Amino acid sequence: MKKKILIVGGGTAGTMTANNLAKKLMPEIERNEVELAMISDSKNHYYRPGAMYVAFQKAAGHEFIRDQRSLLMPEIDFFVDPAIEINVKANYVKGKSGKRYDYDFLILATGCEVAAERIPGLAEGGDWFYSYEGAKKIAEKFAKIQSGRILVTVNFPKTPNVPHQCGIAPVETTMMLHDYLTERGVRENVEIVYTYPTKAQAVENGLFLQSPTSKVLPTVFDSVRVKHETGFTLARVDPENKIAYSEEGKSISFDILMSTPPFQAAKVIRDSGLSKALDNEGWLPTDKKTLKVIGLKNVYTLGDTVDLPVSKAGGTIHNQTDIVADNIAAELRYGYPTESYDGKVIAVAQMGLTCGMPLWYDYQEDVQPTPCSKLGSFMRLGFNKGLYWAAARGML
Amino acid sequence: MSETIKVKSAEMQLLEDKMTMLVQTGRIDNLIDLLAVLSDNIEMTTQPMIEKMINSIDNLATVGFITENAVRYAKREMTKNDVPSFFGLLKLMQDEDVRRGLVFMLNLTKGIGKQI
Repeated sequence: MKKKILIVGGGTAGTMTANNLAKKLMPEIERNEVELAMISDSKNHYYRPGAMYVAFQKAAGHEFIRDQRSLLMPEIDFFVDPAIEINVKANYVKGKSGKRYDYDFLILATGCEVAAERIPGLAEGGDWFYSYEGAKKIAEKFAKIQSGRILVTVNFPKTPNVPHQCGIAPVETTMMLHDYLTERGVRENVEIVYTYPTKAQAVENGLFLQSPTSKVLPTVFDSVRVKHETGFTLARVDPENKIAYSEEGKSISFDILMSTPPFQAAKVIRDSGLSKALDNEGWLPTDKKTLKVIGLKNVYTLGDTVDLPVSKAGGTIHNQTDIVADNIAAELRYGYPTESYDGKVIAVAQMGLTCGMPLWYDYQEDVQPTPCSKLGSFMRLGFNKGLYWAAARGML
Repeated sequence: MSETIKVKSAEMQLLEDKMTMLVQTGRIDNLIDLLAVLSDNIEMTTQPMIEKMINSIDNLATVGFITENAVRYAKREMTKNDVPSFFGLLKLMQDEDVRRGLVFMLNLTKGIGKQI
């Protein structure tokens, strides 16, 4: 009987995995033994890291948005139908249209979303670059500021050892902000204050979520006159008086608050009852090796939805997608998964507008910081503005 | 006065031998020139140049993706179905994807026509 594989989510994780599965299962597809379907809440594909460039006027935004159908192989049936119910007992996902999508294997790749409302006053008083709307809003403020203070804050999920989206992004944007304000000629009059919470996964009282990088950051920030302060876990914001208050009892006034806000899994996941995460954050309990949802034999997950300690970023997904595709292919062919994820994350950090730092780490080894370079920046730019689309299509 | 004794590692000795060979054969001049050219090219490359270049690569990849998929799809359909009759061909036109593809091909010829 024909096996049905359903992918929920048309972002980086869903798209890469759908195409990789179609390639790996082509013999079965040709024999009409396997059917691939994807449902998404949007006809468009948004490449989220591009928003960072929008925040600093280095892209308009449209460069990072494409028609989802154009990124999928024709063997994948695509439906714009937001998922509203996941039933893992009866093996189906229900769409907003009322349609029921049955599956033999399910891949949950619904990402995560900004949940600024979890911090009182943040939605009104803060800004962020993790969405295109947010990036456009903060870009306008960055373009106009002549003097004052820009405060950088970072919030982690309440669930232990789960990172916020894209761990390096607060550092990247702080460095980009310095370059951008220098380009504008107002850096001397604008103070940048980078803060970090007391607890950041395994690191306490640091400036980054991994120890080796945390240790070198004070020197890096000092070299560009960025003030830095640890032990500042944003608790609430007074939007009228523009003051940020921390759980540790400190307060800092600001003109612009560039925040890494709280994140949560998609509503359909939070409502599914599959997550055990604190505060109804919705992270899926994920087997760190097979990438199956723990306790479910035929449900896989990857990307920003998981509760793993690795970065919620494209450079993670690129290393997870083949594990999921290979394991599903193996289960169909042999009856058991064969591949194991080692926690590998590969990326190029944008350490300023013209400097890129290649980085890699896994479950065992932290990132070893290296000097950034112009070539590194070209690599990052080349990937973001071109090669990403080939990666999403499963071509690299 | 203390005397400093420097011990050369086996790896450093090997590297020195190889470099010596390059110097003795005159190849070092070309290699230095090559490194200089590489460095100059990095220096002269700008972000807009990278963006334009990567855009061209993306266009080529897109054409490759569409073509490869379409050829595979067409081959599969050809294997599954008999060659249609004249009316069978017309019936194929009822499929929206077929019509979309045909219009694309016609517009493609127009786009080519505009350039020649």
